[in-house]
Amino acid sequence: MSYYLGLVQLIGIHTLLGLSAYVLMLTGQLSLGQAGFFAIGAYSAGILTVIFELPILPALLAAAAIASFFAFLVGFPALRVKGLMLVVATIAFSEFVRLFFFNLSWRVPRGDIEVGPDSTNGFREIRFFVANGWSAWEITAFVWIFVILVMAALWWTDRSRAGAVLRAVGEDELAAQSVGINLTAVKVTAMTAGGFIAGIGGALYAHTATYVDHLTFTVLLATFAIAYPILGGLSSVFGTLVAVIFIQGVLVEGLRFLGDWRNIVFGLLIIAAMNLKPSGLFDARTAQVLKRAVGLGGKD
Amino acid sequence: MGDFWFEFVEITQTIGDGLLFGATYALIGIGFTLIFGAMGKLNMTYAAASLAGAYVGLAAFTLVNASALVVFLVSALASGLVGFIVYVACFRFIPIDNHLAALMASIGALFFIDEIIVHATDGSPLTFPAMFDDVMLELGSYGIRGDLLFVFAVCIAGTFGLLYVLYRSRLGLATRAVSQQDVAARLCGIDVHRTNAVTFVLAGLLGGIAGSMTAAAVGVLSPLITVPLTIKGLIVTVIGGLGSIPGAIAAGLLVGGLENVFLYFRGVNERDMYVLLLLFVFLIFRPHGIFGSAIDRD
Repeated sequence: MSYYLGLVQLIGIHTLLGLSAYVLMLTGQLSLGQAGFFAIGAYSAGILTVIFELPILPALLAAAAIASFFAFLVGFPALRVKGLMLVVATIAFSEFVRLFFFNLSWRVPRGDIEVGPDSTNGFREIRFFVANGWSAWEITAFVWIFVILVMAALWWTDRSRAGAVLRAVGEDELAAQSVGINLTAVKVTAMTAGGFIAGIGGALYAHTATYVDHLTFTVLLATFAIAYPILGGLSSVFGTLVAVIFIQGVLVEGLRFLGDWRNIVFGLLIIAAMNLKPSGLFDARTAQVLKRAVGLGGKD
Repeated sequence: MGDFWFEFVEITQTIGDGLLFGATYALIGIGFTLIFGAMGKLNMTYAAASLAGAYVGLAAFTLVNASALVVFLVSALASGLVGFIVYVACFRFIPIDNHLAALMASIGALFFIDEIIVHATDGSPLTFPAMFDDVMLELGSYGIRGDLLFVFAVCIAGTFGLLYVLYRSRLGLATRAVSQQDVAARLCGIDVHRTNAVTFVLAGLLGGIAGSMTAAAVGVLSPLITVPLTIKGLIVTVIGGLGSIPGAIAAGLLVGGLENVFLYFRGVNERDMYVLLLLFVFLIFRPHGIFGSAIDRD
């Protein structure tokens, strides 16, 4: 049972990661740096609960704030370039963060042992949930409260003027600019929001896994982050959720019998999916068909 | 005075070594830039394909004890073939204006190649034969490592070979026509798909040389090199200006030289962090790179 709860937690955390990329993609920006913000959230929250002995909630919010601050900082130079250049800039940022934590050693004595990030050996003592006697159910509920809050916030944003502004920038920058939308403000805001969401995800990840090291936050994780919204399509936040359940729940778990070969198949699946459905597996049309099939959609 | 002189020699020596090794980064950067110039797309698989070529070359060396020249030729050809496969799998059938899908597909191919290498080698590094590593040219207080000089010479030869093809052959003319205006090129009867495929093969040939040269200079081939080499290649491409071949050459040498300076002062663990910061310095002060035009291509 706890195994499946762990999977449910992971799906929640990856949904947050995917949504952090989703916000950016609404404005037409593709970032391979979400793993970096996720890492900043994970390490910051871990340091706050382990070294500064804060409770989980303030630590988590502070970690998200720190991650969003860095997203804000990255936003400005990165936004001077567009499209594929932004991909390169964010991938470089993400690697920079990974190397930073690869080198970070901050050990403090706690009782008769030392705790804290230990460069290449990783950060091993993030045991807030265990130390405070949280059950697996409680942890899962805690994770999903944040997932639901973030999804609700994004869903609501999408139906407000702010959502229209984000999508306007994503659809056509020139047109958006000509109706008086401040492109830089919109893009940096989206970047900051994405950093915040990824930071929450990272903080939750560090505490559910109790252990993080620099190898957790590689380009592969950044690829997952953008793969979810690409597969799920940008029509709604639920697409990302469905894509995470599909990849983490069905593919990763379903292909477990392949053992080591699973990653090879994963690469091939991405290639196949992009060739067959370049605009996402669950694009607007597929969503419409699915809705009609389950009797929700009705007319176009 | 003596100490200062010694340190000065040490630093200039290390910069020199870096410049020579930077030639491999320049080649990888040229490969990225060539494909970007032709299609306006990023081929994330490029560095992985180059190393895959080097692995095939290494296999030729281990299995039939091929000579150095054959090893490099086999590497280049294998990488060119991988380049063609990547083009067909990740670019050929994806709509031309869908940058995202092509990017994702090529990232998928990157992981695919990486995993195949990990499986074929059990993830352990393999020794790659070095050329002229026992040669040392003495120039006063300086020494030039024979293997690095060889790497540099081969990379320069590769670059000139490419420039010759691009600017002196009909094939190159077609490639340049497609990269300038693909609609106009089509109107002149140029088969865009074929030309793009040729660009991928050309870039692949160059990448195979770069991959085997990187391996020869470092002495080992390991799947751990793939992602760092991809990222350094991308950085070189951006610093040089997307689509600019002279830019990629200058940026490759710059990154190679500075990398060794960072290595000298900050050690191997922090070296790459400063290389990445260098990219952000360029993004802030010169976002279009050394030789990039100020016009947005994207």
